[in-house]
Amino acid sequence: MAALLEIKNLNVTYRNKEKSVYAVRDVSLSLEEGDALGIVGESGSGKSTLAMGILRLLPEATADVTGKCLFKGETDLLSISQKEYADLRWKDISIVFQKAMNSLSPVHRIRTQIEDIYHVHEPKASKEEIRERSLELFRMVGLPERVYNLYPHEMSGGMLQRVAIAISLLHEPSLLIFDEATTALDVVTQGQILDEVVRLEKSMHMTRIMITHDMSVVSASCSKVAVMYAGCLLEFGPVGKVLKDPAHPYTQKLMESFPSLHGEIRELKSIPGSLPDLSILHEGCVFAERCSKACERCLKERPAMRDVETGHSAACFALKEVL
Amino acid sequence: MAKSNKRSKLTRYLQGFKSDAQFRAGVIGIVLLLLVVALTPVLVTHDAHEFGSLSLGRPGQDGHLLGTNHMGQDVYSMIIEGTSTSLKVAVISSMISAILGILVGGIAGFFGGKTDIVISESINAFLMIPTFFLVLLVIALFGNSITNVMIVIGLTSWPGNAKLMRAQALSLRERTFVKSAVALGETRLQILTKYILPNGIFPVVANTTRGMAGAILTEASLSFLGLGDPNIISWGQMIYAGKNYITTGWWVSTFAGIATIITVVIFYLLGDGMNHVLNPKYSFGKGGGK
Amino acid sequence: MKRYVVKRIFSGLLTVLLVFTLNFVIIKAAPGDPIKTLMGKENSDPQLRAALEEKWGLNQPQYVQYFNYLRNAVQGDLGTSITYNQSVNKLIAEKVGPTVLLGVAAAIVALFIGTAMGIYCARHEGGIGDTIFSGFAYTLDAMPSFWLGLMLILIFASRLGWFPTSSMTDVRAGYTGMRYVADVAYHMVLPCLCLIAITMPGYFRIAKSSVLQVTNEDFITTLRATGMDEGKIFRKYIFRNAILPTITTFGITLAFLITGVTLIEIVFAWPGMGRLTMTAINQRDYPTLLGIYLIVSVAVSLVMILVDIVYALFDPRIRFE
Repeated sequence: MAALLEIKNLNVTYRNKEKSVYAVRDVSLSLEEGDALGIVGESGSGKSTLAMGILRLLPEATADVTGKCLFKGETDLLSISQKEYADLRWKDISIVFQKAMNSLSPVHRIRTQIEDIYHVHEPKASKEEIRERSLELFRMVGLPERVYNLYPHEMSGGMLQRVAIAISLLHEPSLLIFDEATTALDVVTQGQILDEVVRLEKSMHMTRIMITHDMSVVSASCSKVAVMYAGCLLEFGPVGKVLKDPAHPYTQKLMESFPSLHGEIRELKSIPGSLPDLSILHEGCVFAERCSKACERCLKERPAMRDVETGHSAACFALKEVL
Repeated sequence: MAKSNKRSKLTRYLQGFKSDAQFRAGVIGIVLLLLVVALTPVLVTHDAHEFGSLSLGRPGQDGHLLGTNHMGQDVYSMIIEGTSTSLKVAVISSMISAILGILVGGIAGFFGGKTDIVISESINAFLMIPTFFLVLLVIALFGNSITNVMIVIGLTSWPGNAKLMRAQALSLRERTFVKSAVALGETRLQILTKYILPNGIFPVVANTTRGMAGAILTEASLSFLGLGDPNIISWGQMIYAGKNYITTGWWVSTFAGIATIITVVIFYLLGDGMNHVLNPKYSFGKGGGK
Repeated sequence: MKRYVVKRIFSGLLTVLLVFTLNFVIIKAAPGDPIKTLMGKENSDPQLRAALEEKWGLNQPQYVQYFNYLRNAVQGDLGTSITYNQSVNKLIAEKVGPTVLLGVAAAIVALFIGTAMGIYCARHEGGIGDTIFSGFAYTLDAMPSFWLGLMLILIFASRLGWFPTSSMTDVRAGYTGMRYVADVAYHMVLPCLCLIAITMPGYFRIAKSSVLQVTNEDFITTLRATGMDEGKIFRKYIFRNAILPTITTFGITLAFLITGVTLIEIVFAWPGMGRLTMTAINQRDYPTLLGIYLIVSVAVSLVMILVDIVYALFDPRIRFE
């Protein structure tokens, strides 16, 4: 079976007059139907940029996106026109953003916004039809009906996040991206929403990408995980394998810093050094400067992704020693 | 901690000079203006106060670079002399406004609670007053000396600064180094003067710089209403004096106006530049991931 | 909503009270005898003096004087003009029409042009149009209004002879009916243009920054991700959100506009409050000046309350508070 999404050598570079920032470098990964992929990394690791790059929502004047991104084995999301892409949006790929509070227009009722979004692909749909569909989704995510007529400021953060999720499910997309979608919520609400999402996607046959810096979110709701650092993919594999037996020194450090799996990656205090300057194209491994296992080769040559075992790979020269 | 904070802001200014064109243009402009003030005796070609025999001489006529006004005074030399008047008004009135604003806003934000409510409401009320008419009234009643003009402009323009300072103080008092100072038992006055004021002052400085431009324009407007100080040379008064000769001697008003615009733009550039430089969201030419 | 309106009216009243108080303090603190200030220097009519002393209650304690003053002011008694020997109320009432005409016309045109240009420049940020117009607005912002007025007279009236240099009508022609309206409009062009030029940058700046800010909001990115047409996103969502600060700016610009109108009236010899102000300054007619200040302040406060209420109608966050 062809992969639902196959990212090949994706690069995202922000450019302005003075310099370029290499925000995502040469990332390749693939996603099968029904997968739930967690992309984790510190802030500035390029994980959100990666998603925005796939969605082609970065400003074209300042952001260069290169590589391939095959959707359902045939459509290259990066080379089709914006017009062609518009047909895929929300019907096939939808997204829920970081701050629910800001993901809805504050001066329009939820109803108005849902109607407008629904009409993008179903221009003839009646208001009644849309209302019924929305209320059905509201029930699924645990929202009362009255929400439909409210303004965003009349709701709590948790409710808004549920609204945003309901809206993302309007057309039952095959790929759903969550960009830090639960970060701003309290732990209890976050847990409830994650449970519902996992349940929903099983019934709707959806594939999900979860961008987060919270390891507990990944362990609770994902089947695969990709670890990013300074724009590069360092490790990729099934959640059980990667979290329990990390292959890359960076992932190992990451797991050491959060033994309980219930913390956020804010700043890696346990690893000396800081994030490298992304405006320089580093020759060697991006993590070499902070890596305790780094050798001379790591500073000169960039390690490619190599299989640790089937379906679990990492970008490190020291892999054998690890094994 | 408070000190390192200040130093990092100073380095931001230096960094800003390199990367922010507005800030750079503003700084260079100010330096040029100060040079004009310092070199006034060298730069002038005539005694600006002296009434010459040539009334309304055209630019270039008899060695008068920009012509003469109806009293025969050399327009070019008057503009050079007027520079120091404008800068004096700008600096002194803004100082008054900044000091008042910082004190009132700092106290409101730091003490919070009822004090804050009362002061904030007063600030809002002051912000709604048509300031210019108040200034005009006071100058008309108290006499139109340049000192009065500067004091009154200062006394009426502080509310904007107070509002900024209040917001700064409100956020600063939640910061760790202020909280630890509280825990260490420093008095409120000590905390206010040692931590809140020095750290919260930077946005007020940027705003005050823009306020200087406002002060220059207000002084010019007062002069245009005949409320300028008759004993000194100011650009506003030159425009006022040239008003009646706009058709026969356009140069009298025109050049003084251009000098005003240039100076005001310099202060705008500097103020806006400072805001860019101080704004943490404004990174120096960096793309940034999010 | 109710609470919000009550709160706005309350702070409006507070401002008016502040203005009255400042007025009182200024009269009392001004050099010389306050009665002399209100009578005019040359006037020494003992009857008038006695009447004023009675009215102010000068032999009573300060706070009684203050309340006396407040009572008079609230009742709309602004005193008598020294130069015209008429009640200040009546004087202002006669002059307010032309000022409002000029100010309102200019404010509305400036609002539309400034906002439209701001939106255009935000949509084409960094383009040639944006660079030129932003620089233009920046310079206009730095211009003394009266100087710009003089330049307009110099170029369009004196050199080109397209428009009249001053006043509101051609008195000699004595037009009536539509001809009169056309004549006033013709005389209004230059002063209006001048006022538009100096108030427009405010609207320009706020519209541009607001559109830029809203464009970067998460909900706009979400709408883009839904595949919604860019035109619709702009018309319905960006515009509706970005226009809110402009409403507030309209109120704030008002005080600035009145200052501008005053100065421009003097340049163009427009027969309104500005001219009255100028004469009052020249004659040291303090009751008139104080009266103008009070009226202007009260008017600004009232309009600001109105603007705030209109704002609430546009912003559900306040409407349902």
